[in-house]
Amino acid sequence: MYTLFSYLSSCVDDRNRRWLRLFAATILILSASLAVAGGSQVLLSSGPTSGTAWFSTLNQHLTGDWQQYGQLFTNLQKGLFPRLFLLVLTIIPAVFLLHYIVIGPKSFAHTGLVKFFGILTRILHWLAALSFTLLAVTGLMVIFGRFLAPGGGQFIMAGRTVHLVAAIVFACSAACLFLIWLKDMFPMPYDILWLLIMGGYLSKKKKPVPAGKFNLGQKMWFWLATVGGGVMAWSGYLLYSFAAPVDQLRQMVIIHNFLGAALVGFFLVHLYMSLFAIKGSLTSMITGYKPREEVEILHSRYTI
Amino acid sequence: MARMKFLCDVERCIDCNGCVVACKEGNQVPVGVNRRRVITINEGRPGEKSVSVACMHCSDAPCIAVCPVDAIYQREDGIVLVNKKTCIGCGYCFMACPFGAPQFPSGKVFGARGAMDKCTFCAGGPEETFSKAEKRLYGQNRIAEGKVPLCAAMCATKALMAGDASVVADAFRDRVAARGSGANAWGWDKAYNK
Repeated sequence: MYTLFSYLSSCVDDRNRRWLRLFAATILILSASLAVAGGSQVLLSSGPTSGTAWFSTLNQHLTGDWQQYGQLFTNLQKGLFPRLFLLVLTIIPAVFLLHYIVIGPKSFAHTGLVKFFGILTRILHWLAALSFTLLAVTGLMVIFGRFLAPGGGQFIMAGRTVHLVAAIVFACSAACLFLIWLKDMFPMPYDILWLLIMGGYLSKKKKPVPAGKFNLGQKMWFWLATVGGGVMAWSGYLLYSFAAPVDQLRQMVIIHNFLGAALVGFFLVHLYMSLFAIKGSLTSMITGYKPREEVEILHSRYTI
Repeated sequence: MARMKFLCDVERCIDCNGCVVACKEGNQVPVGVNRRRVITINEGRPGEKSVSVACMHCSDAPCIAVCPVDAIYQREDGIVLVNKKTCIGCGYCFMACPFGAPQFPSGKVFGARGAMDKCTFCAGGPEETFSKAEKRLYGQNRIAEGKVPLCAAMCATKALMAGDASVVADAFRDRVAARGSGANAWGWDKAYNK
């Protein structure tokens, strides 16, 4: 733990170290208080005073490990999940189409290139991108299976195999990207300023925007895709192998589907931002260089 | 239209597992799948009871509700069946079923699940009745022959009854009226008229 901490500390400079410590302390306090709250719930709950009522409270503790998620899972899978995914797939592109029409993309002069992404980073990113796209597409094939299955389920069953292979590729490349980019992805105070102006994307002007090497939007996507991706991988492993009791499998499916919807939604955001909203950003992930003007405007707190 | 149901008389079930063997053998059920199981509670203690459980062919089946490819359907007579060619093996039906009826053979690509298999009430499947494909995929189609399912036919004590709901209910009511139920159903007093 100490070597990990000292490695992390050496990655950030003095200016950022104070805020890193504050962030780490906040996380520690939050998780400690959650642990205490969870543990004390059983002991300290005063509960009702009448005999019958006390017995029903006791019953909850005795039968607490009985199967509880069957009804919830059935109702969610029947009604909520297909509609949720449909909403995500229609509303988010519609909003961005509106943004593209009303505000349009930002473009910057091509002169003065700044090195931003190394060759290893770019290779890993594209491996992760390809596998993530396959994961999303094959996952959606299961959600919307009834529209693809009339001729038979073999196509979707093959999709589940692709889902498995892509998951393994994604897990490896995302883990590497997590280690490479972690030091640039910690929250900073100026991220709140970024949030207040929505990254400057709501206006056509080119005023300097408070962001480090990565802005708050990129940071949110990073944490969701790596930590969320890890949760998806773990729940996906249990769902694939059925290596857990059925009630836990139900919890895993609920988590996997909700988190999957969030990931698909944020993936669409990432696609819009990197392909359409900022001209030349796709190029920067291929060549590794960004135009100097773009870095000065969109990542104004980054020292080149 | 007849509504098909199972009824397992827990006073008569002796945990012989004849129903389990009859189903497994007669339908050539895949390895790792047990369409019918006998659940015993209080084994070896007073109040020991056994019941034979397979698919309940529910009226508002949760498995039908959650299937993402609509592979599971319900016949007019209430029997719930799966179309193995449509099934993608996702396992949602297993998670939705309170009885654990949908089960999966293993050993496909990368150890993936195959298509779901479960009790068919010995009514075959969506393939053409009495065809080789139907027998290979789903097992016997005894309902189309006018016979009861294998499990009910084999039951040693006629604890497990299957068929038209009103006929089964009448038979069970007559049985209970004749012998009593619960503590009155069996014991030395009843057996030896003492």
